[in-house]
Amino acid sequence: MTELGGYAGKILRINFTKREAKTVDLDKSLAHRFLGGRGFNSKLLYDAVGPDTDPLGPENLLMFATGPLVGTMFPTASRFNISAKSPQTGILGDTNAGGHFASEMKFAGYDQIVLKGRSGSPVYVYVNDGEVEFRDAAHLRGKDVYETDDIIKDDLGDRRVQTAIAGPAAENGVKFAGVFANLMRAASRTGMGTVMASKGVKALAIRGTGSIEVAHPRKFERLVDEITEEIYGHEQYEGRRRMGTTRILLMANAMGFLPTRHYTSGIFEHADEVSGERLAEEFNVKSRGCFACTIPCSRFYVVREGRFAGLYGEGPEYEAQGSLTARTGNRELELALKANDMCNRLGMDILTVSECISWAMELYEKGMLTREETDGLDLSWGNGDAMLTLIEKISRREGFGDILADGSKAAAMKLGKGLDLTMQVKGLDLIMADPRGLKGFGLGYAVASRGGDHLRSEPFLELNDDPAIGEEMFGVPEATLRLADKGKGKLISFFEDWNAVIDALEPCKNIMQNMEILKFDLASKVIEATTGMRMTPAEVRLVGARIVNIERAFNVREGMRRRDDSLPRRFREEPLTEGASSGTVFDQEPMLDEYYTERGWDLKTGVPRRETLEGLGLSKAASELGRIK
Amino acid sequence: MKRIIVEAVECAGCRVCELACSYGHEGRFSPSLSRITVIKEDKHGLDYPLYCRQCESCPPVSTCPTGALSKTTEGTVAVDPETCTGCGSCVTACNYDAIKLDASSRPLICDLCGGEPECVRKCPTDALRFEESEAFTETMEDAFARLKTEWNIDD
Repeated sequence: MTELGGYAGKILRINFTKREAKTVDLDKSLAHRFLGGRGFNSKLLYDAVGPDTDPLGPENLLMFATGPLVGTMFPTASRFNISAKSPQTGILGDTNAGGHFASEMKFAGYDQIVLKGRSGSPVYVYVNDGEVEFRDAAHLRGKDVYETDDIIKDDLGDRRVQTAIAGPAAENGVKFAGVFANLMRAASRTGMGTVMASKGVKALAIRGTGSIEVAHPRKFERLVDEITEEIYGHEQYEGRRRMGTTRILLMANAMGFLPTRHYTSGIFEHADEVSGERLAEEFNVKSRGCFACTIPCSRFYVVREGRFAGLYGEGPEYEAQGSLTARTGNRELELALKANDMCNRLGMDILTVSECISWAMELYEKGMLTREETDGLDLSWGNGDAMLTLIEKISRREGFGDILADGSKAAAMKLGKGLDLTMQVKGLDLIMADPRGLKGFGLGYAVASRGGDHLRSEPFLELNDDPAIGEEMFGVPEATLRLADKGKGKLISFFEDWNAVIDALEPCKNIMQNMEILKFDLASKVIEATTGMRMTPAEVRLVGARIVNIERAFNVREGMRRRDDSLPRRFREEPLTEGASSGTVFDQEPMLDEYYTERGWDLKTGVPRRETLEGLGLSKAASELGRIK
Repeated sequence: MKRIIVEAVECAGCRVCELACSYGHEGRFSPSLSRITVIKEDKHGLDYPLYCRQCESCPPVSTCPTGALSKTTEGTVAVDPETCTGCGSCVTACNYDAIKLDASSRPLICDLCGGEPECVRKCPTDALRFEESEAFTETMEDAFARLKTEWNIDD
């Protein structure tokens, strides 16, 4: 086979200013060096978007990319990354979702779709195999994600079209609006929906009838069978099938790192009322899965009683479940389902929404925010109805909602207070695990290339709290002890490289990483069987390191330095006072030293050293960063 | 007779059946080449595979204008490529929307993979089963209506 297996082989570039679409062949050396997905996007972002690019200007690129496993029967291979310069953070923006959109991209013939320019009038794009059509979207203005999906499918007369949609929040300029596929597959971190709307684009609708072939079918089949068996026999299988990620909430609570009342506690006394177990027992009626998934973990729920009777939908996942309950102090699970549903329909990132609301609640409780400033809303902990009202107001940028609609950091700067209480890193609002109870996770948030988020590293081994693993993998027993500081630089480098590879190949991280399946040695075999490219496990890891370093180089060029790799003050200075994670703070600087050393980055500035970048074959970045200092 | 049957509430809509089918028959991964087709209704959480039910009396066979379709002794429908003109009358005649045409207008119809259907073998949730059964006549519409009633969803 001369062509690479697995890939669709083409990249689609759409310019909305010129109303022009061009198809180019996938560059094989790009595939070899960056694999796909997030790797493709981050490389192009570095090459084509710079400090002069306005995130909401026509020159910003909005890139959709998927990986070589997607479209095949490789278990869970369904995901895609959307990247651009972020309007929320001003640095690298990137987000990832599953569902059935990415596979449709592949069957239409594309590994990556790049949007540029700005349309003079609202449009949506219809990609039907090789044809690209710009279609009027005036009638979709203000329509929510669900309505838009329905209207587009009717317009096109094809219910099997897959859509990626920007909701009304994006159109209203909320800086953390997402792109939504299959209605509630939220690619919602870092404001990629906002970028899409800034281009005058309401949605991407795609339909593909092509096929994907792999380089070595027999080897590929064997690997798929082995991996499938491993999934079916895994100790986490039942729990994930029943609860998805909502299985985490009670565990996080027991370990004392469940962010509660805006991280003022790690224990939520009403955890049982809002748990994944309760959701499964009382509300879930059916399981749903992403494309090619052999462990479907999404759940369809129906609320039959009470004031939210008649509400139904899919999800939520742990981050939404936890942040719409514990983080804000809300103990009413049905209300959290309603809030989750609203955010999906309006098209917003729930982690940022909940950070903005819970931050405002803390200020309100402390007397730093008056009822006058909140448009009369009582923002006491746990006031769920006020939360619903605020979600609506944020999405419309109305009154106090307008203050919050750019994220917590921007809100604090607008109000001139509470900045050191915002739980964000580099402007991206934090996730639902208190770093005082998971030190490696914390280091991951501090250095993550998209800002405060766990999915760049997610060192789940800390949850086992077993020093033998740290000793064996990193030669440092503390590396896998959750409350210890030592060895975390090695831990996070390893996990960042691993996750970058997963994000490039695009199977599900929950399964392939969290369940310890697609490690570097197996990834090497899978890559060869699928694409035909031969890479040793060490070379596979180098692809991960290359992705991490090109992203760091992008952020350095945007002005990020060591001082920006910093967690909010509370985590560094105030220990939790109750529960299994109490008594310690996040001791940041020694961990950063260790991490930069491991990475080959300058200890003082956090800038990758020239020889580090050159060693990864990133010569353009090496010479550009060499000039920065 | 052994038939493929489906339990709608178990179908997660992962489309592994489509992949197993196209790979088994054509050696490549392509839902468009699959003899089984999953319809998904995200809003209501519904998923359902469309496939040949091995009907005793098969309208596509009886209405094929060139007589290209015939029933086999296993109860499946065979297509004679020589006489098939690709007119697509079988697609509209099938009561279960189980037939589609490929890019060269060839009808794609389930052949039970010679007795061990790949879609059933690979179904991750056991929503699909292959077993001795009476004629299985629930349509997708029936199944969706049944589940929506069970769940009290009325829109």
